[in-house]
Amino acid sequence: MSAIADHLPSGLIEPKGMAFATKRKVFLVAMAVPVVAYVLVVGIWPLTQGIWYSLYDYNLIRPQRTKFAGIDNYIEIITDPVSRQALINTAIFTFGAVFFELLIGFALALALWRDDRFNRLALALILIPVTITPLVVGLIFKGLLAADYGMIGYFLAQWGLTDPRGLLADQHAALATLIFIDVWEWTPLVALILLAGLKALPSDILEAASVDGATGLQKLRIIVIPLMLPAVLLALILRTVDAFRVFDTVYVATGGGPGNATNTLMLHAVKQGLEFFNIGRASAIANLTLLIIALIAAGFALMIRHADRKANGK
Amino acid sequence: MIAELAPKFEAETGATVKVDILDYGSLLTKTTADYIGDTEGYDIVTMDIVWAGEYAENGYSVELSELIERDADEIDVDDIYPNLMMGLGNYEGQQVAFPFAGYANVLAYNKTRLDQAGLAAPTTMEEFVTAAETLTKPDDGLYGFVANGQKGPASAQDWMQYNSEMGGAIMGDDGMPTLNSDANVGSLKVYRDLFRNSAPPGAAGYDWGGREESFRQGVAAMMQTWSVGAPGYYNPEISKVVDDVAITTAPHSGDMAPSYGIGGWGMAINADVSPEQQEAAWAFIKWLNSPEIHKEFNLMGAGSFLRKSEMTDPDLLEKFPFLPVLAETFENGNYDYRPRIPEYPQIQDFLGTAVNSVLVGDADPKEALDTAQAQAEELF
Amino acid sequence: MSASYWFQTGRRAFLLIMLVFFLAPFLWLATTAYKPSSAIFSIPPTFAFSPTLDQFRTIFRLFDVWSLLRSSVLIATGSVILSLALGVPAGYALARSKSRYAMGIAYFLMAIRMIPSVAALIPFYLMMRDIGLLGSWMSVVLINSMLNSAFVTWLMFSYFRGLPPELEEAALTDGCTQFGAFFKVALPAVMAGIVACVLFCLMFSWNDFLYPMFLTRLDSKPLSVALLSAYGTKDITWGTLGALAHFSTIPIVVVILFLNRYFVQGLTKGIH
Repeated sequence: MSAIADHLPSGLIEPKGMAFATKRKVFLVAMAVPVVAYVLVVGIWPLTQGIWYSLYDYNLIRPQRTKFAGIDNYIEIITDPVSRQALINTAIFTFGAVFFELLIGFALALALWRDDRFNRLALALILIPVTITPLVVGLIFKGLLAADYGMIGYFLAQWGLTDPRGLLADQHAALATLIFIDVWEWTPLVALILLAGLKALPSDILEAASVDGATGLQKLRIIVIPLMLPAVLLALILRTVDAFRVFDTVYVATGGGPGNATNTLMLHAVKQGLEFFNIGRASAIANLTLLIIALIAAGFALMIRHADRKANGK
Repeated sequence: MIAELAPKFEAETGATVKVDILDYGSLLTKTTADYIGDTEGYDIVTMDIVWAGEYAENGYSVELSELIERDADEIDVDDIYPNLMMGLGNYEGQQVAFPFAGYANVLAYNKTRLDQAGLAAPTTMEEFVTAAETLTKPDDGLYGFVANGQKGPASAQDWMQYNSEMGGAIMGDDGMPTLNSDANVGSLKVYRDLFRNSAPPGAAGYDWGGREESFRQGVAAMMQTWSVGAPGYYNPEISKVVDDVAITTAPHSGDMAPSYGIGGWGMAINADVSPEQQEAAWAFIKWLNSPEIHKEFNLMGAGSFLRKSEMTDPDLLEKFPFLPVLAETFENGNYDYRPRIPEYPQIQDFLGTAVNSVLVGDADPKEALDTAQAQAEELF
Repeated sequence: MSASYWFQTGRRAFLLIMLVFFLAPFLWLATTAYKPSSAIFSIPPTFAFSPTLDQFRTIFRLFDVWSLLRSSVLIATGSVILSLALGVPAGYALARSKSRYAMGIAYFLMAIRMIPSVAALIPFYLMMRDIGLLGSWMSVVLINSMLNSAFVTWLMFSYFRGLPPELEEAALTDGCTQFGAFFKVALPAVMAGIVACVLFCLMFSWNDFLYPMFLTRLDSKPLSVALLSAYGTKDITWGTLGALAHFSTIPIVVVILFLNRYFVQGLTKGIH
């Protein structure tokens, strides 16, 4: 590292007195303001609208019947067994999908870490699932898994490995199958986030460890995993948030069936909002979802801060 | 297919037509958003028959009665089936759309397999059920019947068809839902048994794509379906049953008058656009539905019939020998077996869940329909 | 040596298995584009078919493929540029800030990304109508960037945190401007992070369906929306889907391949 840096105290430097610290502060604030302002204008407006709508019995198709409903929309969600089932399904789906995505994603990232031509090509190809619209992903697997003629489903059913109705029409397997589809689509993204984290690791520490005779596994346990925690948590937050809001693949693959076995919160909300135009109820479900996700994410964010402090404390 | 004809209209009139192809779900969502937001995104919208109530109640589209009367001779109104004019565009006296694609619910069957089993095409539901069981040979991968089982519009719509053929009804005479009537529960039991005994196992998860595939592959021997798919069965490019397929009118319970399902699409003119655009849109609708162009449209395999003259047209008959079946259906059809009321999307959703949970085996028909009925009553 | 050899072989084998897993379903869809419609499914399923280009003819007859592609490219590039322009400086500012509000702001941004689309869609739709952007690809860029800039801020936040501040401090002492220190010193050192952000934004906006479905018109419709037209009421036209999928996949794979090398160069050029 540069020689000049060695002479400087780390942390706050004040080459030109207090004026510099103020200038620095102003500069940093100016750098952060645009995104915050942008998000406030574009994002918060819809959100407040949504909270407002959720207090009304409001259907776009029958606007003349709109009336104030207080928290009725919320009460109905809690008392409605369909919504409760949807909440449980969503939780199972999110947990299952995120767990496997992180597990396989981490293995993939490690395998892709080394920079060579094969890995570059492999990374580009492996990312293909992420670039396909989730609705189309749902269609692909619906076609492949069809028990009577699908390339995969046919043989699974013939060999007696699945219910003859096929995975997506089996009450006990449908949710797991949807998790599988989600893992297929999003694991590459998790791998990419983790790979980005790996590439940001300081190579000097790893080299030093190698010189000291650390084995690959030791390096992984002592250096890589602790330093990777922020990236892992970022992937965790991102995927949890998105998995919790899943709807496209479910919509085409099962429609929430069989029965209500794969009905998810967002599928429920989208149906209310964009099919029935029952904006009041849809907003209430969406707000509730947002609240739950925000709580989960807050937990993760605290973990990130903790991990961050630990990593920086070394 | 409209996209393919549009350039011809442009060449003849100099007007520009842009056709946006949307999937079914997006179509309702996006056009409704267009109406609600008054955003004038589309001049003409194709309207599924079941959206008619929503259109009428909200005045989304231009009321066409006067235009139709004005240009009655030009359109040759008498040549259009009254059932289609009413069902595909008229809701409680308001002409919200002009009919353009009439679909008849018909029975498509694999004649070769029925002949082998010594069966004639069933005309009653009772014969249909027996024939379906006879034709089912799971060991050979052959089944007698197929219908949609996937949760949602797929299972709801197919069941409503069979339900009305067995004397059930979704709405009572007083305009209130009657989802759990005895007739409906009875028909759902028959329907469930059909799935259990005679349908390919995967059918519980099928929507239209899976159902049609199953028939074209020769797996299922009988299927009730919209006539729009029929030209496809005779097309060797997509069908493996070209030489086996036959089409006849849908069966119905022996003790009742026929209740043939009618569905299809109308064309509505967006009420938000300027009078000039409305007039231009009307010109396009008249042109597309004129006898010559509509015939050409159908010769291309659109399967969207409308006019009495099309049923006897030699060119069309030669290509589509099943036209008399359609004529019979359009003459005596029922376009309200799926209630075309504004609440239809929700009712369909409740039924979709109820029927699907019965088909996958965990729900009792009576209980499932009771639940759906309770949900539906809240809408009124 | 031989342990390392076996390790490398094992790694490649694992990657190959993963490649098959992640590519096979997509390849199945892609091959439907070369099959006559009747051969897409058969019982029992088979791999054999006689290739045809009919499906491609169909999509060119039904769609203005180039216009779809152009819209997709415009939406994706616009989203990438706007999201990075907003998110990267913010990530830097938050990483360098000593304020205790920094974490709060970062968290707030992440929370915005969580807004369920169904809640945002209709208000945003009406908002776009009021400012006259409805029906243009720019409206999609606006909403995509709102979601993506939060993510970019977060990712860059952690990259800048990992970058020791000494280099910039040195540059500042040497008389470099504040922006210069960020732009010329800090930014090049986190190139891998920038490339990662580009990849994310690109993929998110490329496969997004719900917003463009609502916000675009015929002439600004992207490929992701057109793909769904194949999912009709009566049938799924798999061949059309497969043929269109070529146009929605090949360009982005090429871009990713191209970006990949910079993804790595960042590391070697960086501070280590």
